Amino acid sequence: MDDITTQFEECLRRHLRSAKPNPINYDVELVQLGLDSMTAVAVLMDMEKTFGIRFPDDMLVEGTFRTAGRLKEAVQLLRERQAS
Amino acid sequence: MTRSLPDQSLGPEWTILELLARGIIDDSEVQMVRDLLTTDTMKWGELLEQALRHKMFPMLAHQIMSASLRFDVPTNIYMHLESALEWNRWQIEVFRRETVRVAQALADRGIPFVVTKGMAFESTLYDSLGTRYMNDIDFMITPRDRDKVMTVMQELGFRPFFDWAKDARREEISSRLNPDHLPKLAREIDQPGIRLIDIDIANSLTWTKSPFDVPVEEALENPVEQPIPGMSGVSIPCFRPIYQFLFTVLHLFREAWLQKFVESGTDVGLMKFGDVIRLIDRNQNKLTDSELLRIMQTHGVTDAVAWVLRHMDETFHTHAVELLALEKHGNEKLLRSQMRSPGYVNAWSESMRGRLQSKSRGSVQPVAPAHRGS
Repeated sequence: MDDITTQFEECLRRHLRSAKPNPINYDVELVQLGLDSMTAVAVLMDMEKTFGIRFPDDMLVEGTFRTAGRLKEAVQLLRERQAS
Repeated sequence: MTRSLPDQSLGPEWTILELLARGIIDDSEVQMVRDLLTTDTMKWGELLEQALRHKMFPMLAHQIMSASLRFDVPTNIYMHLESALEWNRWQIEVFRRETVRVAQALADRGIPFVVTKGMAFESTLYDSLGTRYMNDIDFMITPRDRDKVMTVMQELGFRPFFDWAKDARREEISSRLNPDHLPKLAREIDQPGIRLIDIDIANSLTWTKSPFDVPVEEALENPVEQPIPGMSGVSIPCFRPIYQFLFTVLHLFREAWLQKFVESGTDVGLMKFGDVIRLIDRNQNKLTDSELLRIMQTHGVTDAVAWVLRHMDETFHTHAVELLALEKHGNEKLLRSQMRSPGYVNAWSESMRGRLQSKSRGSVQPVAPAHRGS
């Protein structure tokens, strides 16, 4: 699969104020980068649109997007599922 | 509760709405509203817009009709107000019938529930005058009954509101991420002037992972049966007064304290405070004994309740904090705060009165960097 890092980070930066000027730390909780309940919805929708995926109901939980690392893993998993 | 007359610094239009929201209690207030409505400088556009924003259009209409101001109000405005009041009364009738239909189906399955908010208050706090506006019908259930209730609602013809939403996927994701409610449900009906009936079913008194909450199972114990006006022998279960008060206050706290409601333009309005003032006025004895304070302390919600009551007292000149003996609760830091995301709280400097009147609340910015909340 292609490396999605650039597109993934652009997507996060579109919504998270604190992610804009700095390198994204994949281990930090996204709430520390400015994620709240409204931006969480916007980020997930943008990820779906950008990568042509759809988060299933069981992935629409806080754990999926606790950190940038967890969210990127989820996006990659859904892309792989879709490709197979 | 006793209260002094509001100051008129925000104009006659706003003063009228503040008086109506908190409830007219004596002749001096009746006369004040009448004088303000007939003032030469009345800006009707401003009054009507703010009445709509705060869901007070039917209440304003009723006040003008009952004060016999037919010839003191511009004719076109009077006629529109009259129609709006009649339409609201009709909608309430339709909502009552639907409430009973859903309530009977839930009761038949042995599911514990209560009817909350507008439908519960319309007859108990607003004297069945048809003045309490409501968008939807609200129920409260326990989290363990979510699936059962969803099945019942589908059998009754309700579908998730996503189908009618502007952005269905946004609604769906938002609903999944916030499991304190079932997805908003709607049903198409064939009634004049009413296309859809929306039902909102909560399973928490506040919100998912709220630091302030009262167990819903406890709140649903020993509900009171409340008669439905115009339907002889029919009643609906509602919270008993102490839990009705706690739910109403904590719900207001949710909408006022969480930044997301400010940004989506659905945060607190005058009538939410009006509900709290009336609840205290009508249940004073039950709310001032030690049981309420004990429950609040047991569940750690005293500061959240004090947050609401302090803002209410500042805005409406009531004395609820003193009445409920909460003077030592709800510190200044909490009072001037707003929750942006889980664990992160912004400082917030605007007065509640200024915020309620503002038409661009979404532009209100925090005055200090976000910090980790307790």
